[in-house]
Amino acid sequence: MDDTSYVGMHYRSEDFNEERPNRYTIIRAQFDKWFSRKVRDAGVVLLCETTVKELLRDTHGKVIGVKTDRDGGTALADVVILGEGVNGLVGQRSGLRSELKPDSVALAVKEMHFLPREVIESRFNLKGNEGVVIEAMGTITAGMTGTGFLYTNQESISVGIGCIVSDFAENGTTPYGLLEAFKNHPSIKPLLANSECKEYAAHLIPEGGYKSIPELFGDGWIVVGDAGQFVNAVHREGSNLAMTTGRIAGETVVWLKRRREELSKANLAEYKRRLDETFVMKDLKKYRKIPEFLHSNKHVFGLYPRLVSAAAQTWFRVDGADKLTKEKEILRSFRKGRSLPGLIGDAFKLARSWR
Amino acid sequence: MTGMVETGVLGAKVEEKLFQNRYLVDAGRPHIKVRPHDTPSKALRSLTYTCPAGCYSLNDKGQVEITVDGCFECGTCRVLTAKTGEIEWEYPRGGYGVLFKFG
Amino acid sequence: MHIVVCMKQVPDSAQIRVHPVTNTIMRQGVPTISNPYDLFALEEAMRWRDRFGGEVTVLTMGPPMAEDSLRKALTFGADRAVLLTDRFFAGSDTLATSFALAGALAKIEQEFGKPLMIFTGKQTIDGDTAQVGPGIAKRLGLNQLTYVARIVDLAPEEGHITVERRAEGGVQVLSTRLPVLITMLEGVNEIRRGSLDDAFRAARAKIVTWNAADAGITDLTKCGLRGSPTIVKKVFAPPPRAEKAYQVATTDLSMEALAETVMDEIFKRQTSLEGDLMRFSAG
Repeated sequence: MDDTSYVGMHYRSEDFNEERPNRYTIIRAQFDKWFSRKVRDAGVVLLCETTVKELLRDTHGKVIGVKTDRDGGTALADVVILGEGVNGLVGQRSGLRSELKPDSVALAVKEMHFLPREVIESRFNLKGNEGVVIEAMGTITAGMTGTGFLYTNQESISVGIGCIVSDFAENGTTPYGLLEAFKNHPSIKPLLANSECKEYAAHLIPEGGYKSIPELFGDGWIVVGDAGQFVNAVHREGSNLAMTTGRIAGETVVWLKRRREELSKANLAEYKRRLDETFVMKDLKKYRKIPEFLHSNKHVFGLYPRLVSAAAQTWFRVDGADKLTKEKEILRSFRKGRSLPGLIGDAFKLARSWR
Repeated sequence: MTGMVETGVLGAKVEEKLFQNRYLVDAGRPHIKVRPHDTPSKALRSLTYTCPAGCYSLNDKGQVEITVDGCFECGTCRVLTAKTGEIEWEYPRGGYGVLFKFG
Repeated sequence: MHIVVCMKQVPDSAQIRVHPVTNTIMRQGVPTISNPYDLFALEEAMRWRDRFGGEVTVLTMGPPMAEDSLRKALTFGADRAVLLTDRFFAGSDTLATSFALAGALAKIEQEFGKPLMIFTGKQTIDGDTAQVGPGIAKRLGLNQLTYVARIVDLAPEEGHITVERRAEGGVQVLSTRLPVLITMLEGVNEIRRGSLDDAFRAARAKIVTWNAADAGITDLTKCGLRGSPTIVKKVFAPPPRAEKAYQVATTDLSMEALAETVMDEIFKRQTSLEGDLMRFSAG
């Protein structure tokens, strides 16, 4: 995207209308409510509105429970599975991992815009339970490493934008200013017309990838989800990684308990072994160099989208100029924006990081 | 794009956005505090624009102040000032703070 | 001492918006909460339980999801929760609601002992009628103390209670005999935060769930829509008032002068008001 245009790639496929769709958009507050009922029905004791403050350890340093912010607030446990989210204060303050780095975590802001279902269906050409996801990059992030996004729900549209935290600090742009600009981009604005915004939210996303993954297990503890940096920034996946890590942590603990094994560091290493066999670790490993590449190659977010957009305009504009001249002009604009070695170098580095 | 932001069309009022949200304010127990200071570091000053809820502002003495009522508990401010240690950051007591309707 | 608190799960009315174009009330995505006024009643009930010993039972009528607010009440420290839920109760107005709750309260007395006090909030934030509490008292033949600001004295053994009741023009001090139904005013206490034990107990608790038959309610013609003479003709957002706010400029900032200026302004705009007030104060 540049300020006035966008160049897009679309993919729509009837093949995705499977009996069990492979991707969903969910509204977390509603999902969590549904899910907590499910786990309760399965016999889980669920404590809400209680903040865990720190881990309890025995004299050998083994984790034996948690301390909460309620009176009389200690709860003992055989194992503590830390699914405490991106900020991960408990683990951090208990010395399991270090504080997040401003350059490897993104701040995303998002709004929920409500529209009648029929309007969303006709506006996005949807039928049944289909949905649309739009990911956008370009001048909308004002030179920062980040992307804009929009996705449809049944009666609402989620729209937001996220950039690396250190970029926000250097750039001086407010997150909400950036979001307003994105919403007002000529290619986004009509999609939101006449909608009513019902919530504005912000969240951090761990984007450090494979290299930022902290210690994942120890004597009496396991880390899952965002707290373990389980986010695939390239494919914008996070929830599925969180769910998978959580499931495998649970299965590992059940497996050990059935065998009457201790929940020691040596035995909990099984969690990591199992995780290594899943897409979670394999994908994160594959893209381990990408975060660095994107962070040190901001052209990807500013210059290239601008160049591609300009090229597309030159290509499509019917103005009497001959095609060969147009092709030369496009090439020239790329060369002017970035030196030939620079262009080749970027392509090479991207290819290497992608491998 | 910076040009667009400066045009003012998009001088978004964050207060109006926060008005859509739902909070249970734990009156008298702010979960984030700015430590007393004379001159804020660059990192601390940056919170006046990086905070997505616009919780931070400069007072007339040039010090950074916080009003936590609109906070999302996202952690941006803590991450940015981790090195300088200028703020104290806790989650609100369980049940208080932002209550996402949709999330 | 057994105390029952009647609570209601209501839509968080602060989240209900009026559509700017159609002027209709938009309820989608509005979360439900425990009626805030009921929490003052619950806290008051628990304080007296803590003082004299005994149990607090919370009772609510509503759909199965009303269980959420009951579990929350248990987390705050209530001892037992009863959910009265049945499709026959759907569409109840205040008359039918008080009928059903009175039935459930009779059953609670049978099952868990006679309550000496029954509390409700002064009203709910969705209906704002303040009728259900008195309706229950009437049906159960209880003394009722409404809009109670403070319980001055309670003597369970002797069976009497003295309260301060906020009334127009002042505070009434009322004494009566137990058992009694009390509707509590807001702001008179602050709901406690339960301990971790409370939270665990609430999470594990089995909520007593009764349908009409379980509660011994047999006359279904007095329940739900059939038992509700109230007819809602239209739900609408009140139109914005035509009168505008005026700014009154003045230089003298003393309190008397400000009062004078404002009164003058009001009398200028409401011409008959001054005369009415004169007559009223003279009579």
